[in-house]
Amino acid sequence: MNMPPASASNSSECPLPKSDSNIVTINVGGQFFQTTKQTLYSAGPKSFFAKIAEFQPSDPFIDRDPELFAVLLSLLRTGNLPSKARAYDLQDLISESQFYGIEHTLRNSLSGPSQFEPFNLQKSIILPLNGRDTPSAIATSEFGSVHVAHGSKITSFDWSLRRKSTYLTQFIAVDSLLALSDSVVAAGAHDFSGLQIIDLKRKVIETTLHWENMTRSGSTVLAIGSSPEHLFASYESGRRNSNSIMVYDLNTFSPVTEIAHNEIFGADIDSAIPATKLKWSSGYNLLMASGSHSGPSGVSGSIRLWDVRSGNVVWEMKEQIDCFVDVTVSDNLSVIFKVGVHSGEAFFMDMRNLSYGNSWVCLGDSKKVLNGRKEGIGCKVEDQGNQVFCTKGGDIEMWSEVIMGSAKKGDEKLDSRVFKKNLMGLVKDIGGSKISNLAFGGNKMFLTRKDQQFVEVWQSSTVEL
Amino acid sequence: MAAATSDSNCVTSPDDRIKLNVGGKLFESTLSTLRSGGPDSLFTALSYRDTGDTNLVFIDRDPEIFSVLISLLRTNQLPSTANRFSKQELADEALYYGIDTQLRSAMAPSSFDGIDASNIATIRPASEGLSSTFTAAGVDGSIWIAHGGQVSCYDWNLSHSCTIRTHLDEIDSICRVWPEIAAIGSASNAGLHFYDFSHGRNVGTVRWTDPSDPRIFKARVNAIAGSESSIFAAFDCQHRENCILEVDKTKLQIVSQLARQSGNQVKHTVPRKLTWVPQTSVLVGSTVTSGAFGYSGYIRLWDPRSGEMVWETNEPGAGRSSRFGDSFACVGVDVEGLALFKLCSQSGDLAMADMRHLKEDPWIYLQEKNPSLVNTGGASSSVIHCYRRQVFVGREGDLEVWSRLEGMKNGAEIAGGDAEGLYRRNFVDKIKDSERGIIKQIEGGGNRLFISREDVEGIEVWETTCSSGVISVL
Repeated sequence: MNMPPASASNSSECPLPKSDSNIVTINVGGQFFQTTKQTLYSAGPKSFFAKIAEFQPSDPFIDRDPELFAVLLSLLRTGNLPSKARAYDLQDLISESQFYGIEHTLRNSLSGPSQFEPFNLQKSIILPLNGRDTPSAIATSEFGSVHVAHGSKITSFDWSLRRKSTYLTQFIAVDSLLALSDSVVAAGAHDFSGLQIIDLKRKVIETTLHWENMTRSGSTVLAIGSSPEHLFASYESGRRNSNSIMVYDLNTFSPVTEIAHNEIFGADIDSAIPATKLKWSSGYNLLMASGSHSGPSGVSGSIRLWDVRSGNVVWEMKEQIDCFVDVTVSDNLSVIFKVGVHSGEAFFMDMRNLSYGNSWVCLGDSKKVLNGRKEGIGCKVEDQGNQVFCTKGGDIEMWSEVIMGSAKKGDEKLDSRVFKKNLMGLVKDIGGSKISNLAFGGNKMFLTRKDQQFVEVWQSSTVEL
Repeated sequence: MAAATSDSNCVTSPDDRIKLNVGGKLFESTLSTLRSGGPDSLFTALSYRDTGDTNLVFIDRDPEIFSVLISLLRTNQLPSTANRFSKQELADEALYYGIDTQLRSAMAPSSFDGIDASNIATIRPASEGLSSTFTAAGVDGSIWIAHGGQVSCYDWNLSHSCTIRTHLDEIDSICRVWPEIAAIGSASNAGLHFYDFSHGRNVGTVRWTDPSDPRIFKARVNAIAGSESSIFAAFDCQHRENCILEVDKTKLQIVSQLARQSGNQVKHTVPRKLTWVPQTSVLVGSTVTSGAFGYSGYIRLWDPRSGEMVWETNEPGAGRSSRFGDSFACVGVDVEGLALFKLCSQSGDLAMADMRHLKEDPWIYLQEKNPSLVNTGGASSSVIHCYRRQVFVGREGDLEVWSRLEGMKNGAEIAGGDAEGLYRRNFVDKIKDSERGIIKQIEGGGNRLFISREDVEGIEVWETTCSSGVISVL
């Protein structure tokens, strides 16, 4: 929180005393406000307020609504919106904050990732989608704007979830979607050759990226991921006999390198599995690529950690017995987390001492591993902050690590870590239809359900947006 | 502060006026008003500025909330304009000016009175809403709720302040050790565990072990009570041997062991309820079990300094013959009024015993004088909680309060018959409140009464308010 200091002013009796150099008097629509330069500069060096702070010695006049200004000044002072802001529509506040150039401050206070409270998430908003298509993919940006692909359309909601726009793509259905910024997304599909970079605000396709493979049979996109510098795309050739992960520059979209290129000759199942999830781990500077294949002999798959710069696999895990349904890498917890397809149980692996002989630690009933039923099918695993979220059917489990005090010698293993789960939501929220997508952005959790034409938004019960 | 006044050149008097410029609006007040904010407040610091200097003090905050807070200092109560601001906002702003204690006392609910209380809110955690237990022992009206292995804290404002996940799957007993540290225990997991809320981690575990007896292991905690310096936890092992361990609050280490019992009979089972009575420094433990032949149990008082038992009663087997077969179904301890209360399982009567005059059969059976309220049956699932010298009894979903009549002599001083009319019984709730579910736990704290019900999400908060709650029917 921003706590501006109290300071003494050199003044006499007049109602608005002539201030010392640190105090700024502003006339907004006929009402006088006084504040300190620190408060004004906290809006950012390039904002309108920073200019006012330098606008000395004469008192600046701003021809805007004073009441909205009072709300935004409180926001600058305390970092929070005052309760009188509730008298206004959020849209008015947003447009006013855009005028003053402090929309980012407003966005941070209402929807910033630092406001994410995993234990306080409640199902709070439904975002309806028009038409009959159900969502196939969702993508979120850092401050909680969300793009939803349903059928051949992508509907994007801004961070306040108050405005939306819909764009018609060239896809029949979008299978992978990644937000590169508030308005730019990367989209791909299993039945469409090439990765499209679409600017949803300007409604143009910026570029279409292809992977030139040996068979020249087109390249379908199976997964998209990004790091602060790079865009990753997992391609498979149209004949499904080769696959690769391309690395592009995030700004220019020019190819940087290619990793994990596989050509399949004969019945080499292992290399035939392309990556279907790409996740960047910024803490370890590694790219996690995972893919699985369901065949007559069961489900098999692999998880690889790639060093993108050298193009080498740093660590690899082949999955045979209870292959993952979905897997994620949590930087904050330093764990790889998966849900097994047969058992439906969660497993984790400590990333701090990864080696080739590692095995999963089961967080549940390890007897169920060999039961052969596919209880975990369709589960999603995502991490946000210090928690890992797993969907099971229509429910979401939240896993948190419990940090135990001094480890007792002999009693427990020194490095044994404790993870505990909780089912999210109140009783009335439990047991909806199956969750098809799960994503996090800003202080919110977004999910879509099978056969339902809306996006469900979960956010802190204390935040009133 | 005193030095600052004495050596300043001009003598300041409390009636001297001071001008403040808050966010562009001018305020004028007296030094005495500003100093009423307490020695740590920003205003007091400002009021001791050299008065020779005519500079106006500029505070870069919102002037509208400031006007609310300055009237709080002037009148010691919140003006009605405070309603325009959220409680959280007022609390944040008061914290900035360092006058949060004044705000708390102005915003605190009025003195809790069971005969005039209403359900003002329900606190509902975002997930795992069924609370297994909770503690409201803080004097400020805050509450810690254990639900599904998590502990959520709600502050004096009843706004959510934090939630932590513990390693237990179900928490069955919880007790405040320090404002940031909770002691928790579970019936399904061994040990007494301490959790720190500010860091969200386990800071210690106490287990009952006995080097001379290898059978003492994996002992579970059944009840926890806290005194000023110690925590008392009732442990029992798989083979039902049990004891109470006294744990030092600062070191979180075991100090002593008392009341070790074999557990092979009902009267030797572990106490399921522990209460510390600070006035007399005794620990009250009780247990009730119900079986095919009715209820049985005991109440015992221990002196932890000597480790000796001071008094006990076992039922069935004690009490007057006219009450044969009517053993207690639950027990409550009035810590302020030094009285024990029991609810009879057969008749549903409430009985009281003065803790200063405990004897063989100390019970006074409180009589219901209102014929329409006379008990019709036994107490199948009932809870007793004493708070502010009132006895709250939950029978199934009904919540009733037994309040002491004013102007009557003390129970022990009046002979037999009169004492039975010492308390008057009233319902706290409406019939529709009772239909929400069976009352599971009642606890009072900071002028609030908190109630949890079986299979109902959230915790009800009951308060006494002086606003009439007038309803317009136009």
